[in-house]
Amino acid sequence: MADLTTQAAPVTVQRSWLSPIWRRILGDKLALVAAIILLVIVLAALFAPWLAPFDPYETTRRPFIPPRWSEGSLPQYWLGTDGQGRDMLSRLLYGTRLTLVMGLASIVLGGGLGAMLGLLGAFYRRLDPYVMRSADILLSFPAILLGLALAAVVGPGLTAIVIALSIATVPDVARITRSAAIVVMGQDYMEAGRALGLPDRTLIWRYLALNCISPVFVFMTLRFGQIILIGAALSFLGLGVRPPEAELGMMASLGRDALFFAPHISLLPSLTIIAIVLCVNLLGDALRDLLDPRMRNM
Amino acid sequence: MLNHIAQRLALSVPVLFGVLLFGFLLLQLVPSDPAAIIAGPMASPELVAQIRQDMGLDRPIIIQFAIYMARVLQGDLGVSLISNTRVTTELAEAIGPTAELMFACLVWAVPLGIALGTIAAVYRGRLLDRLVIAISVAGVSTPVFFIGLILMQYIGYHWELLPFIGRGGPLWSLEGLASIVLPALTLGLVFIGPIARMTRTAALEVLSADHVRTARAKGLAERTVILQHVLRNALIPVVTLIGLQAGYLLGGAVVTETIYSWPGVGRLAVGAILASDFPLAQGAILVLALAFLVINLIVDMLYAVLDPRVESHG
Repeated sequence: MADLTTQAAPVTVQRSWLSPIWRRILGDKLALVAAIILLVIVLAALFAPWLAPFDPYETTRRPFIPPRWSEGSLPQYWLGTDGQGRDMLSRLLYGTRLTLVMGLASIVLGGGLGAMLGLLGAFYRRLDPYVMRSADILLSFPAILLGLALAAVVGPGLTAIVIALSIATVPDVARITRSAAIVVMGQDYMEAGRALGLPDRTLIWRYLALNCISPVFVFMTLRFGQIILIGAALSFLGLGVRPPEAELGMMASLGRDALFFAPHISLLPSLTIIAIVLCVNLLGDALRDLLDPRMRNM
Repeated sequence: MLNHIAQRLALSVPVLFGVLLFGFLLLQLVPSDPAAIIAGPMASPELVAQIRQDMGLDRPIIIQFAIYMARVLQGDLGVSLISNTRVTTELAEAIGPTAELMFACLVWAVPLGIALGTIAAVYRGRLLDRLVIAISVAGVSTPVFFIGLILMQYIGYHWELLPFIGRGGPLWSLEGLASIVLPALTLGLVFIGPIARMTRTAALEVLSADHVRTARAKGLAERTVILQHVLRNALIPVVTLIGLQAGYLLGGAVVTETIYSWPGVGRLAVGAILASDFPLAQGAILVLALAFLVINLIVDMLYAVLDPRVESHG
C-alpha cells in the first residue's frame, strides 16, 4: 500500500502541472514566439562549434569590417569583424554559450540550495528561524555588490561571477519555496504520509518538493533573466570572463572604444542579451499567469 | 513602529559585522608585509619585527580583527596601494558625485514611473495599458550599458547635444547640469520599467477596493478618485518595492559611472578591484554596503510612517 502511494504521487503531479503549460504556451502567441526564439538561441549556442564559420579567437588583418547590410562589408563576414579582426558571428555564438552557461550554473546552484533550505525550514520548524534570518542577512547584499566583493577576493573571472550570482539567488528562492512549502505542509496527504511511517527523506522529496515546484519554477525563470543581466553587467565592467574567451557583456565592453565608427561590435552582443532576457521574461510572465496568479506582485 | 525599526536595526548588526569581516579578509590579501613597507627596504629584521609588534601583526588573527574594527569605527580605512593617499580621502571625493547621480535619476524616474503605472491601471486592457506594459517589460530586459552606449553614441557623439565624459562641476552650475543629464537619463530609463509595473499592480488592487467604489458612488470627479483615493493607497507598496530595488539602482549606478567616467564610488570600486588595490576596494565596498543598509532602513521607516498597520505586524 505504501509503495503504491509513493509511486503514484509524482506521476499525477507531473501530469497536472506540465501539460497545461504547453497547451497554454501554444495558445499564447507572444509566449510561443518567445519560446521559439529562445529555443533557436539555445540551439545556436549549443552547436556553436559546428555553426561558427570561423575560429572565434583567431585575429586577422581585417578589423572593424561592418556587417553585411552596411557599406564596406566583406561577404565572408556576415556580421563583420571586431577590433582585432575576429569574426563577430562566431564570437556571438560562443559568447551566447558562455553567457547562458553562466546564468544556468548560477540559477541551478543558487536556486537548488535556496529551494533546499526553504524546504528544510518548512519541514523542520526548529530550523525555520535560522533559515529565515540567514535569508534576511543575505538579502542585505545586492547581487552587484556580492559580485564586486567576490571579484576583489578571488580575482575577476567566471568563477567569481557564478558564486556571487548563486549566493544572490539563494535567499529569494528560499523564501518563495518556504512560503509554498508551508501551505503544502498543512495538507492532509502530508499527515497521511507521516501516518504511513514514511521516512522524512521521502516526505520531503516526494511529497513536499514536488508539490511546491511550480511557484519556485516560475520564480526561477523570472530570476534567470535578471541573473543574465547582472552577470553581463559584471563582465561588462571587466570583472568576468578573461580575454580571449568571449562572453556577451564583455564583448559589448570591448566595442566601447570603437563605438563611434564601428558600433556593431558593441551593439550586436547587447542586442543578443536583450533578445535572451526579453524572451525569458515573456515566458516567465506567461508561466506565472498560468501557474500562480498570486505572484503577479513580485 | 519603534518596535519595527528596532527589529530592522538589530538585523543590520550581523550584516555590518559580515561586511567588516569581509573588509578585513580583503586586507589580508595584500601581498606585501605592511610592516616591511613602513620600515623601508634598508631596515634590519629586528626593526621590522618591532614594527610588526607595534602594529599588532604578531597577535592572533581575532585580535587583529578587533584592531581592524576599532580602526574602521574611527574612520581609518588605510592607504591606497596605488595612489598612496588615504582611502577615506578618495571616498569622500567620490560619495558626492554618486549621491548626485542617484538623486538626478530618482527625481525624474520615480514620478514618471508612478504616473505611467497609474495611467496603465486606469486604462486597464486598452492600448495605453499595453504600451506601458511593453515599455516596462522592455525596460527590465535591457542592460544598463546598452542604453548608456546608445545615448552616448547618438545624443553625445552624433548630434553633439550633451557632454558624455566625466562630471562638469557641481549640480547647480550649468556645466554640471549638462554633464549629468545623460548618466541620469541612462540610470533612470532602466528604473522606470520596474516602478511602472509595481505601481500598476498596486493601483489595480486599490481600484477594486470598496472605498474607491464608495468615492465614485458619492459622485466625486474621476480625477479626485484616482489621485486621492487610489494613488495615495497604492503608494504604500510602491515605496517598499522601490526600496527593494535599491540594489538594482546601485548596480545600475556602478555601470553608468563606468561608462560615463563619472567620478563616483562605483567607478572607484571597479577601478580598485581591477588594479588589485585592496585597501581602496575594501573601503569602496564598505561604503556601498553601508549605503544600501541605510537606504533600506529609511525605506522601512517610511513604510511604517505611511502604513500604520505595520505596527501591528511588529
